[in-house]
Amino acid sequence: MTREEIVGLFERREAAMNDHDVETIAEFYAEDAVVESPLGGTHQGRAAVAAVYGAVFEAFSDATVITDDLIIDGDRVVHVFTMSGTDTGGLMGMDPSGKPALMPMVFVCRVANGLIAHERRIYDFTGMLVQIGVLKAKPA
Amino acid sequence: MTREQITAMFTRREEAFNAKDSAALAADYADDAVIYSPTAGVHQGPEAAKEAFDFIFHAFADNTRHTEALVIDGDRVAQVLTIEGTNLGGLMGLPPSGKHFRLPAVFIYDFRGDKIVRERRIYDFTGMLIQIGVLKARPA
Repeated sequence: MTREEIVGLFERREAAMNDHDVETIAEFYAEDAVVESPLGGTHQGRAAVAAVYGAVFEAFSDATVITDDLIIDGDRVVHVFTMSGTDTGGLMGMDPSGKPALMPMVFVCRVANGLIAHERRIYDFTGMLVQIGVLKAKPA
Repeated sequence: MTREQITAMFTRREEAFNAKDSAALAADYADDAVIYSPTAGVHQGPEAAKEAFDFIFHAFADNTRHTEALVIDGDRVAQVLTIEGTNLGGLMGLPPSGKHFRLPAVFIYDFRGDKIVRERRIYDFTGMLIQIGVLKARPA
């Protein structure tokens, strides 16, 4: 993929994330794409990808994403963005807490044939759980 | 810097980090460099960078970084790495717990010439605090 094609793919994904359009988002991934996610575990394929995004947008019904950095090196792409949202729907089977969360995130991707083939997500997942009240943390 | 120079610099920095050589690490930052660190806070310039590295090496005397991938895009670099260490020196005013942490992390760098002007470190910081026993977490 050219740099322009990669930039276009990630711009379209950001727009679809802001639209909470999980079907469109899933189509940016290869049929056999593997995603390593703190929230969703390691999962494979478009249906699983759509399900994990769906769980996020169900929990955070006002979730928005703003790209901070897009670093491209051949077929490797690092997408750095900030997601913000309010826990209005409940995450991981919990009741909604109504609490807001601000989450800097990094998705480390490999692209092939116009699609995301592999994605590894790194962010302060535990901090997110604390922000929305799924976990309670106190000084030890 | 060329790709080869950047790769060599990161190899040298990893060796310096694992040797706890804070002066060598700090020398790579521009005077106006801004470093966003969950553990050491936001700090600016080589002197503050050296102090922050010394603080980290005191808290985690066996702290190591292992680079898994360097994604190089002109003067922007994403370093995907594993960080680990043991809380042997105490953190946040607490006595040492003797507990170990191991986490994936992504550090994002902007270069001007051969100096780092911005570094942003992203990882599961709250998870780290729980692993080393500074925070205790329980389901809410």
